[in-house]
Amino acid sequence: MNVATLPPQEEIRTTPVSERLRKFFSAYGLWIVLLGLPVFYGIKDLQDEGDLSRLGNNLFAGLSNGAIWALIALGYTLVYGIIELINFAHGDVFMIGSFVAVGMWGTVGLALTTGTLGLIAGLLVTLIVAMVVCGTMNVMIERVAYRPLRSAPKLAPLITAVGFSFILQNVGIVWLGSSQKGVPDLIKAQHVLVSVAGIDIHNSDVLALAVTAPLVFLLTTFVNHSRSGKAMRATAQDPEAARLMGINVDTTISLTFLLGGLLAGAAGLVYALYQTNVWYFQGFTAGLIAFTAAVMGGIGNLKGAVIGGLIIGCIQQISDNRIGAQWTPAVVFAYLVLIMVFRPQGLVGEETREAG
Amino acid sequence: MSAINSNLESFRNWKHANLAIAVVLIGALAIFPLFKPPLDGFIDDCVLALAYVVMALGLNIVVGFAGLLDLGFVAFYAFGSYAAGWFASDFFSSINGEKGIHIGAGTFASTLPGIHLNFLLVLVAAVIITSIAGMIIGLPTLRLRGDYIAIVTLAFGEIIGRFAVNGQIGGFKYTNGRQAISPVDALDLPLLKEFDSAFSIRGYYWVALTMVAFSLFVNFRLRDSRLGRAWIAIREDEVAAVSMGIPLVKTKLMAYAAGAAFGGLSGAFLGTYFNSVNANQFQFAFSIFILSMVILGGLGSIWGTVLGAITLSFINSYFIPDVFNGIPGSLGLDFDLTQLSFGIFGFLLVMVMILRPEGLLPEKRRRLELKEGIGADEAIVEVRA
Amino acid sequence: MRSRTIVATGCLIGGLAMGVSACGSDSNNNSSGSGASSGSSELTIYSSLPLQGTSREQSQAVINGEKLALAEVGNKVGKFTIKYVSLDDSTAQNPGTADEGQTAQNARKVVQDKSAIFYLGEFNSGGTKVSLPILNKAGIPQISPSNTYIGLTTNEPGSEPGEPNKYYPTGKRTYARVVPRDKIQGAALVTTMVEDGCKTATLWDDKTTYGAGLARNIEASAKAQNLTIQDRQGTDKSAANYRSLASNVKSDCFVWSGVTGENGVQVFKDVAAANTTAKLYGPDGVAEEAFTNPKKGGIPADVGARTKLTVATLGVKDLPDASGVLDKFKATYNTQTVDPYGIYGYETMALALDSLKRAGAKANDRTAVLAALFGTKDRKSIIGTYSIDPNGDTTLTDYGLYTIKNGLPSYEKKIVAQA
Repeated sequence: MNVATLPPQEEIRTTPVSERLRKFFSAYGLWIVLLGLPVFYGIKDLQDEGDLSRLGNNLFAGLSNGAIWALIALGYTLVYGIIELINFAHGDVFMIGSFVAVGMWGTVGLALTTGTLGLIAGLLVTLIVAMVVCGTMNVMIERVAYRPLRSAPKLAPLITAVGFSFILQNVGIVWLGSSQKGVPDLIKAQHVLVSVAGIDIHNSDVLALAVTAPLVFLLTTFVNHSRSGKAMRATAQDPEAARLMGINVDTTISLTFLLGGLLAGAAGLVYALYQTNVWYFQGFTAGLIAFTAAVMGGIGNLKGAVIGGLIIGCIQQISDNRIGAQWTPAVVFAYLVLIMVFRPQGLVGEETREAG
Repeated sequence: MSAINSNLESFRNWKHANLAIAVVLIGALAIFPLFKPPLDGFIDDCVLALAYVVMALGLNIVVGFAGLLDLGFVAFYAFGSYAAGWFASDFFSSINGEKGIHIGAGTFASTLPGIHLNFLLVLVAAVIITSIAGMIIGLPTLRLRGDYIAIVTLAFGEIIGRFAVNGQIGGFKYTNGRQAISPVDALDLPLLKEFDSAFSIRGYYWVALTMVAFSLFVNFRLRDSRLGRAWIAIREDEVAAVSMGIPLVKTKLMAYAAGAAFGGLSGAFLGTYFNSVNANQFQFAFSIFILSMVILGGLGSIWGTVLGAITLSFINSYFIPDVFNGIPGSLGLDFDLTQLSFGIFGFLLVMVMILRPEGLLPEKRRRLELKEGIGADEAIVEVRA
Repeated sequence: MRSRTIVATGCLIGGLAMGVSACGSDSNNNSSGSGASSGSSELTIYSSLPLQGTSREQSQAVINGEKLALAEVGNKVGKFTIKYVSLDDSTAQNPGTADEGQTAQNARKVVQDKSAIFYLGEFNSGGTKVSLPILNKAGIPQISPSNTYIGLTTNEPGSEPGEPNKYYPTGKRTYARVVPRDKIQGAALVTTMVEDGCKTATLWDDKTTYGAGLARNIEASAKAQNLTIQDRQGTDKSAANYRSLASNVKSDCFVWSGVTGENGVQVFKDVAAANTTAKLYGPDGVAEEAFTNPKKGGIPADVGARTKLTVATLGVKDLPDASGVLDKFKATYNTQTVDPYGIYGYETMALALDSLKRAGAKANDRTAVLAALFGTKDRKSIIGTYSIDPNGDTTLTDYGLYTIKNGLPSYEKKIVAQA
């Protein structure tokens, strides 16, 4: 017996270095990749400036920027999770959300002179309107462009999604013209509210996190604990079986699009307040980033989308500040490729769908 | 009537019917520019359409044959165009002591500094560069399947677009970014007079037509070759294909390389035709534009891809600006439709896809699948950890 | 297989038929002109500008100016009737600037028209790079109302190797402009900054032909005038904001070499917020309401108060000859203010018409018109007295300094640049 079991043990012991390296990298490579940038600049800051406040500022700005990406990424991941479609029109739904929000400011009479209470009330109204408009629009797009193609080849809805993306962008062009429009800085976005340990916290940061955190919490609670949420998860796993169990698959898919649209509308308002500019192409750019975030986290996974969004936000800010803004998109996408190499299923991809 | 029918029937059964049609067709396509002014806008639209056909045929190899969803095809357009920018302009003006290197260059080009190669050599360079680039981009996707391939290729497309825009690392300048490498040498073939696009673009049309004919020939041969069958096998069932002894890595990389080569071919031509290479051109939207052609035409179907490319290109550069936007004017209305052209393009995409989800001319194999539901419940996202 | 081939063939032939049918409509208007030196009495002046996107208002101002100048001579020079055709060099996919493909198509369209005698454009220097070589081969005189990029006419510092000769394949100059080239604007910007007491400056550009070209000129002038350029960056138009980048701006002055359409408003907002003391400077590329007026999406008033702009137009108080034209402009187009580019549009057309007039009976001969254009000497115009030098550059060197008042660029004074 002993003799028989020995050879394999021998084999394990004599695993070639390349194999062990490979194992090491597949276990820790991802962390090396993710932490490389902040650790490198952290050490550099300690050497050059003696404290970590610059890095801290970068990371904090990254989190608040990333919160917006996370809201959009959730929409991608929800839709992908349930019908396996890269919804290219999603970014543009978010853009329309921004435009609606900015239009609503004028309607409800918000201006730079509005007092704090009036501002909060007005923005809440705007938030709800933007969310409802985007949610409805997303449901309608699904009804018109994706549902008729449910039994069509897999890539067909991708093209209708692109088609709707163009249509929405055109709506944006006709609405506000084809270049960035500055909008009133209602919340004094770049006013430093408080400074903690050298890290400046701006009004815009507070806004982004204050809107995002409760929405993400509500969404995860809804998906994990409500009846409809269960139906969504069941449909995501196996639409046929879900149908057999008495779940109305069409309604469930519509609900998913509604949720995605609601979040996109919220992101639209936050974006307009945060960046103080809007333009028709913002959705396309943001959509690309958010989609990347969703994939980075593990597409189909809610937690993953949020983590992915926040990570991309941080990478962007560090890269903007240190490497130069012109290289930021390249850095973000290089990160994406590395993560795909080390962990093809995304950062937390395993938890939900067995991706195989 | 019945006589005509029976004639038609016998014509169809005639062994060389395809050949006859092809000859008539190519003849008609080849001589039609002679009936139009030499700088006509419609020839311009045709040149673009033909260039896009070559591009789409390349993408069809990757997406249609091998089933690898590529969202970063613009990278090969970029590499192809830059091959023209690097090797047929004064971009590297300090090379060879500012005297330049000239191999088979045209008369005006021979007087300029920089590298000036003959157009055919530029094409060869473009094909070599893009094939290598295609394989490099393909490498990290080998472990992935489905939409994860899409995202990695998309990432590469964006990275390369970004490098094109920035144009300079340290002191080394490799593109002119958004300031464009310009002018690129005029098209110049051995034994023929230089094609001067300031006086006639017919020459460019004929070159593009030749490139399409060549690409079609190669595509048909590839599809029916051993390699082509391997691609289709991998697309249909990767595990089964591997267990039948198909070398996965090699086959996939060959698909990327072959597809990229056509992208490069077309890119080099377009760089020459536009007379400049501007980093503005290399955006994600271009990848989507070409992918739409392939899917709209019928994934995997060569004639479908040709039709899809011609349709979308003409909608974009002829139908919307020249026909559609003229409608209000001809009705006596003062209304500007140019503002809406983007949306109309999108609307047409949606309509065509909803009316013909399988594409305009679906591949025979796919049509069967759709009818019989083969592979309908196939898992789509598959990742081997 | 066979049936599919036939379907495909049918489709291809259908596409072909579409082309043949279009043939009928196109060929008519091309035959209207006659040989360049034959006795035609109708001449056509084309303008090519980006009519879609951010530059639309400036382009419209140029067109209005050009039309006004043409109307003043009653659409006639000598025995020739002048027709005016306005082309769009931008596309929906590429708005606000000259699209390569569209610009080339415009230039070819003009080359085909035998009655074409002038091509007024492009608005963007990058566009002229495309149209100039094509028009040069056909010998069509070209005047730009707004190009400032240095490499189009000279090989002075700031140009790229091979420029400008590569744009003139015939070896003959066919391009002139009424705006001083960027060498002068770069010097004007640096002179202003030094006068305002700046020791260090941050320089960002928008990476376009215009922006990057002007930035090179600013760098050269800064060196000559002992202004230290601290941070040299290129910005990406589609970035949502520039806050992290702006947090590195520590200098006394900030100058952005770019145009509004490249997200200029956001650049100024973010820099102004990150560094609350830096003085801000912009070139003529941002001297428009879309940038200066917060109601039209421009920079907020408090940022505007810190911003100074340079434009190659002087105010009416330093341009005594212009007031009559300006009044007529305001009356004709029913506006309160005249965009600086309206004045340049007017002068572009006026210069073209003047050249035709001087060519006399040979005004339908492109060679004679070119000779007249380059023979322009001490021309008294609404923007001052100038000549066209052999490169095609204007001898004017006046730059105006503008501040922002009530959301509009407002003329401050004439800059005497230290070259």
